[in-house]
Amino acid sequence: MLRASAVCEEAGYPTSSLVCEGFLGQAAATTIGLGMKLPLAKVPGHTQAQSADELRRNVLEVTLEQAVGNLTVEMAAAGEEREPGARDVVCVGGMDEVNQVFIDKEWSDGLPIIPPTRQKVEAFLRFTDRSPDESLGTILPDSRVATVWSIAVNGVMAGCRPEYMPVLVALVEAMCDPQYGVEHSGNTPGADTLVILNGPIIKRLGFNYTQGVMRDGFQPNTSVGRFWRLYLRNVAGFLLHKNDKATFGNTWRVVLAENEDVLSEIGWEPNSVEMGFEAGDDTVTIARYTGGNALASAAGSTPEELLPYIADAVVRQISWQLMFTVGMASGTLRPLVLLSPILAQTIAKAGWSKQDVKQYFFEHARIPAGQFERILRDWTGKPVWSLAEAVGDGSLPKLFAESEDPNRMVPILRRAEDYMIAVTGDPLRTNAYVFAHNGMLGYPVGKRIESHQR
Amino acid sequence: MFVDIKEETRMNVSNDGHFEALWPRSPRRLTKKLLAPRLETLESKNIAFLWDYMFRGDEVFTLMEEGLKQRFPRVKFVSWKEFGNTHSKNEREVLAALPQRLKELGIDGVISGMAC
Repeated sequence: MLRASAVCEEAGYPTSSLVCEGFLGQAAATTIGLGMKLPLAKVPGHTQAQSADELRRNVLEVTLEQAVGNLTVEMAAAGEEREPGARDVVCVGGMDEVNQVFIDKEWSDGLPIIPPTRQKVEAFLRFTDRSPDESLGTILPDSRVATVWSIAVNGVMAGCRPEYMPVLVALVEAMCDPQYGVEHSGNTPGADTLVILNGPIIKRLGFNYTQGVMRDGFQPNTSVGRFWRLYLRNVAGFLLHKNDKATFGNTWRVVLAENEDVLSEIGWEPNSVEMGFEAGDDTVTIARYTGGNALASAAGSTPEELLPYIADAVVRQISWQLMFTVGMASGTLRPLVLLSPILAQTIAKAGWSKQDVKQYFFEHARIPAGQFERILRDWTGKPVWSLAEAVGDGSLPKLFAESEDPNRMVPILRRAEDYMIAVTGDPLRTNAYVFAHNGMLGYPVGKRIESHQR
Repeated sequence: MFVDIKEETRMNVSNDGHFEALWPRSPRRLTKKLLAPRLETLESKNIAFLWDYMFRGDEVFTLMEEGLKQRFPRVKFVSWKEFGNTHSKNEREVLAALPQRLKELGIDGVISGMAC
């Protein structure tokens, strides 16, 4: 919304941006990264929690006056903010002193960091062929340059080892990909990014890809996950109580690596191949998830016995996220299902491919059409619409409105291939995990990890 | 009882290391931009509404129209429907088209919502 206002101002049109009270701080921080101090008009409270009378009173008595002022009164230009240079030493001292400075300056996530000294940073740089000054992009909301140097600095801080550097570079490349949408990383549902790792690099660097795969405890899985969050903080600029408006939030996600031994054994392609790479490529895939749930003790010796339970779990994880199937970001919902190796082996033994499993979910993970509409239109205050109207205007396949029966079952995604499936976790436990995806606000993006030549 | 005669010495020696820590951020690639000139009045001006299709913006804009018309009887409005969702998967395309669209519609000022 503020990005739209910035475009208008730059084109010569004065604007007033309507901002709910609780978002004024975020809006003020965001405008810095847009290069101009955009005028904001406060909407008291939050519109979703107000009666029609309350909304009317707030808009007419508060917002209106401020909007008029925004459009008619010249504002003072934003002041210059002085910052250190890219390679400046900003703190000299012992471990405790450095950590206190980093906490005070909001450069740390609250846990102790490894002080990023030149010697340590240079050790990381030896694991990439890229120039330290190379920019992989400019990242909103702060509009900072994603340099290789800054990747190394934050990698050191996170507790990574220098040899992880190629993974970190690939991750920031993915972060900079417009399809991912990093600028949305401070949105209120507070989704966090999951990194999926594929390729021989899993074993080469010692990533956990079996039991407890998403638990902290393995240095590469844990420190690379932490790096992601530190980079979002220090270079993208997502700080709590400023640009990061997660209502609840949670800690960064530990990196997930697939069990490619099992995938090879059962003839299923790894996630990397689904993302467009060759089998055997070292790759990262990123996507944001608002949450998820483990599904314990799936019972059955055939796909037909196992999959109904998992399909039911998929439905239970998807609620307001339907707005990414139809609505503001139609067709961008990509739920991720993790299957433990024994589940994948049992399903594959019956001759089922990964695509067969996705097709099963598409056909069986369904909800009543009336429920679909109620979640968006009635419960979350999205603009009035219906599935029939969306089919009528061509924005949804006919499948979503084959009758007028509100109890007809409709899919929660537009295409079977929008499901993502990964095989990992305890090899001999019949558990699954379903992630609720955050649609266009963290769309899956994959990047190849460049091998280091020097 | 064993007494470590070096205990006092040890307590006074820092074991905390010495580090010269580098800045963990990165320079902004940003050109400071000036805001557009403001309007002298909204009377007889053409105001566009831009919406991200969330948080009751449609109702808010209706109220804004009502209130602004009371203060500036000859103010005119262009609905958010003319511009498309400013926060969708087509955001980049919608925003890129905005300057030309505003020009075509003879817009003087813009009210954009809803950040909630």
